[in-house]
Amino acid sequence: MAQEKSSSASTKLTELLKLQVGSISETIEKEGRTIFGGSNNLLGTDEITDFCIEFLQLLVALLESRDPHNDGSPQFHALEMFFNSLSKQILVRGGRVEDLVRYIQFMQRTLIEALAHDKKNITVDDTRDALLFLSSTFNELILAVFQAYLDEKERTINAQEAELRETATPITEIWDGVLTLPIIGTLDSNRTMLVMEALLNRIAKEHASAVVMDLTGVKNIDSQVSHHLIQMVRAVQLMGSDAIITGIRPEIARALTSLNIDLSGVTTRASLSDGLKEAFRRMGIQVSHKAI
Amino acid sequence: MSIPGLHLTQIGSGDFLLEPSRSLNICDRDKLIERIAARLLQARASRLYYDLSEQAIIDPVYYAWLNALAGTAIAINVRMVCIHMQPTAAFALAQFIHEIPAFETALDISGWQRTTQ
Repeated sequence: MAQEKSSSASTKLTELLKLQVGSISETIEKEGRTIFGGSNNLLGTDEITDFCIEFLQLLVALLESRDPHNDGSPQFHALEMFFNSLSKQILVRGGRVEDLVRYIQFMQRTLIEALAHDKKNITVDDTRDALLFLSSTFNELILAVFQAYLDEKERTINAQEAELRETATPITEIWDGVLTLPIIGTLDSNRTMLVMEALLNRIAKEHASAVVMDLTGVKNIDSQVSHHLIQMVRAVQLMGSDAIITGIRPEIARALTSLNIDLSGVTTRASLSDGLKEAFRRMGIQVSHKAI
Repeated sequence: MSIPGLHLTQIGSGDFLLEPSRSLNICDRDKLIERIAARLLQARASRLYYDLSEQAIIDPVYYAWLNALAGTAIAINVRMVCIHMQPTAAFALAQFIHEIPAFETALDISGWQRTTQ
């Protein structure tokens, strides 16, 4: 019985939509141009026209499907995907999710208002069913938009994190076979793993004989960080390269001693330049002033 | 004299290259070590290069095998140098070792020769 009722409501809604497709399309297109077009420059006029037509086509396809209330149907999925890609397109171009949600609510309002044009042929029950259908469908579509927004945000955050990781630990080949790694900020387990992985791969790739790790930018150190540091030095040595630690501040040196960290197998130098000199010395490279 | 699971080749005066194959069975490590040591002694070897290029991961069992072999080599006055250690293996090994290994390491044979010159 309920199925029959909703089917009658969707048939009426479909008829209404088909009858008034021109005015509905014009209204939502006009609003679309105000929100996304013009000076906002998020979508072109043709793009707005196209998406309005596509939206109405997809909505009619959903209404004509066997069960328009089934949010697992291919027709419903197509409508969801349409809004998902539309929101991604708008967000990538700098649009706001709030504007898109308001626009979807405007579309819903336009369709509800269209029902009022045919008061004679629509019963109260049909109107109620049509309203229920529209509100549940548009709620799902707004959720799809928010999902796309969250996906896009997550993608941006991941990209920014990757970029930050890349720039926070620049491994530079300062001389043939000599790598420098300035460590700035705090070394936690996660960061140490990433730095170590990048450094070891770079040693293998560049065939580096020496790595100078500069700790000038490390402000404080605790037991865990010093442990990570020693692990990093050990891994470099296991690869067959020389590890030289430079720029240990007095407070860091004191902290290492009080933490009972064994630095006997580690070469340390006061500054990065001293570290480089040591690396060159080990490689038999001599850098001198040009005789005038 | 062939030793199952590995190739032991003389590459210069006193230098030997050990290349383990996939069939190397380190469960029987004592016998293997004895045979390798016998070969090194016979040829009056002074250096043993252990090629780790095919070893993506070094676990505690494999590390114990390397250490035992290096320890025996030292006992017969042979320096064991592990070469071509993979980044993944160095990464894994650095996580669990707490002491300096009995073997030395180098990027490759020429790299080690350069540093010892």
